[in-house]
Amino acid sequence: MELLDRYLQAVKKHLPWERQDDIIAELRANLEAQLEDKEAELGRPLTKEEAEQWIKQLGSPIQVAARYQRQQYLIGPTLFPTYWYVLKLAFMWATGIYVVARVMTLAAQGSSAEAYAGIALGLPGMWLINAAIITLVFAVIELSGTQFGAKIAQLPPLNPGWSPLDLPPVGASDGENKPWSFAKAVAEVVFGCLFFAWLLLVPHYPYLMFGPGAWYLASLPYKLAQAWWPFYWSIVAINGFELMWKFADLTGGAWQKRRMWRHWAMHTLSLIPLGILLAAPGQQLFLAKSAAANVKTLADANLGLHKALMIAVAVVVLQIVWHAGKMAVESYRKRVAA
Amino acid sequence: MTLTENLYENLRLELRRGCLTLAVLAQLKQEHYGYTLRKALAERGMEIDESTLYPLLRRLEAQGLLTSEWREEEKRNKRFYKLSADGEQIFARLIEEWNAINTSIANLL
Repeated sequence: MELLDRYLQAVKKHLPWERQDDIIAELRANLEAQLEDKEAELGRPLTKEEAEQWIKQLGSPIQVAARYQRQQYLIGPTLFPTYWYVLKLAFMWATGIYVVARVMTLAAQGSSAEAYAGIALGLPGMWLINAAIITLVFAVIELSGTQFGAKIAQLPPLNPGWSPLDLPPVGASDGENKPWSFAKAVAEVVFGCLFFAWLLLVPHYPYLMFGPGAWYLASLPYKLAQAWWPFYWSIVAINGFELMWKFADLTGGAWQKRRMWRHWAMHTLSLIPLGILLAAPGQQLFLAKSAAANVKTLADANLGLHKALMIAVAVVVLQIVWHAGKMAVESYRKRVAA
Repeated sequence: MTLTENLYENLRLELRRGCLTLAVLAQLKQEHYGYTLRKALAERGMEIDESTLYPLLRRLEAQGLLTSEWREEEKRNKRFYKLSADGEQIFARLIEEWNAINTSIANLL
């Protein structure tokens, strides 16, 4: 039943990560047996409304998952799921805001690479202050008595007014964990070949990328610097490499295997073309083609693109670190399950 | 819910908590998986929510009172629980305590 799958997925998110799979497997077996009994009793499958009612009476995902948490002392079991939820949200938002704000400030000031490295060094301190403030607030709430604590526990997302129909669809959050079908793998290779051919044709037929705008761009008094050629060929090489990887997986019968590692590797390789553009001599990516070129516009365009590339590199590096963390957690969970 | 009802509900849950553990241990003298255990308890008048029973089984197992094993039954993998040797000893002592409390309460009422 799709609604049950969505419910279990939502419960899983809030379970202790090292025991998630085991607990969900047990919960699924029990709930499916219960569902079979209900349907046998009725002589028909549950209607959508009956299924919603049944799942709703099981309890909200965060509350059900909370029962499996170990006892906490500083912050009690009633308040702890809310505290944990707020802490994760705050970490995520604070990190995003901090990194974007710092990178933009430094980019505007034209700071050095050391200054950018300083952003990463400032992260632990920022996390620590965040965690300390949130923990302190929740500890005070816990200490201020059960009456207040119970009221907090009624706030979203613990609100009893939740509905199973509001849960996200199955696989929306961890689609990469689902096995890949053969048809999808073949389609991926076929479309990958088409894209590769398109990529090779673009330098000869620019209208394939820009459409009618290609003629307008050609009429402008600006041209691309030489650095765009190694950038282009690095993109071609990376795409060719990924295509061969997919093809090898397909022919080797490994199209179903997890794709996290490949995703991470391709993400890391994407730093190469970005690095090539960043290393362009004098940060000049656009050049004047004729005397009609406006020198200030040209300088502004080069500076703007350079800053945008710096931000893109920072974002890609963050994504690489994030994916590496996810893979490490996944690998540890597998070892624990084994 | 008024304060009195809230208080009653808290006390009722507190009273039931220990009884539930005793009921689960009693029923697990024979092997069950979560859902059949819940049904068996309900048939004997001891209704327990899924969200209470299933984590309780985990806790009792972690405390060494139960043993469990994954096994396939009716084409589905299920986790079966049973009273452990330690669990049997502790259960016997808890029953003695239960009977003593019952007698005392009966005398008090």
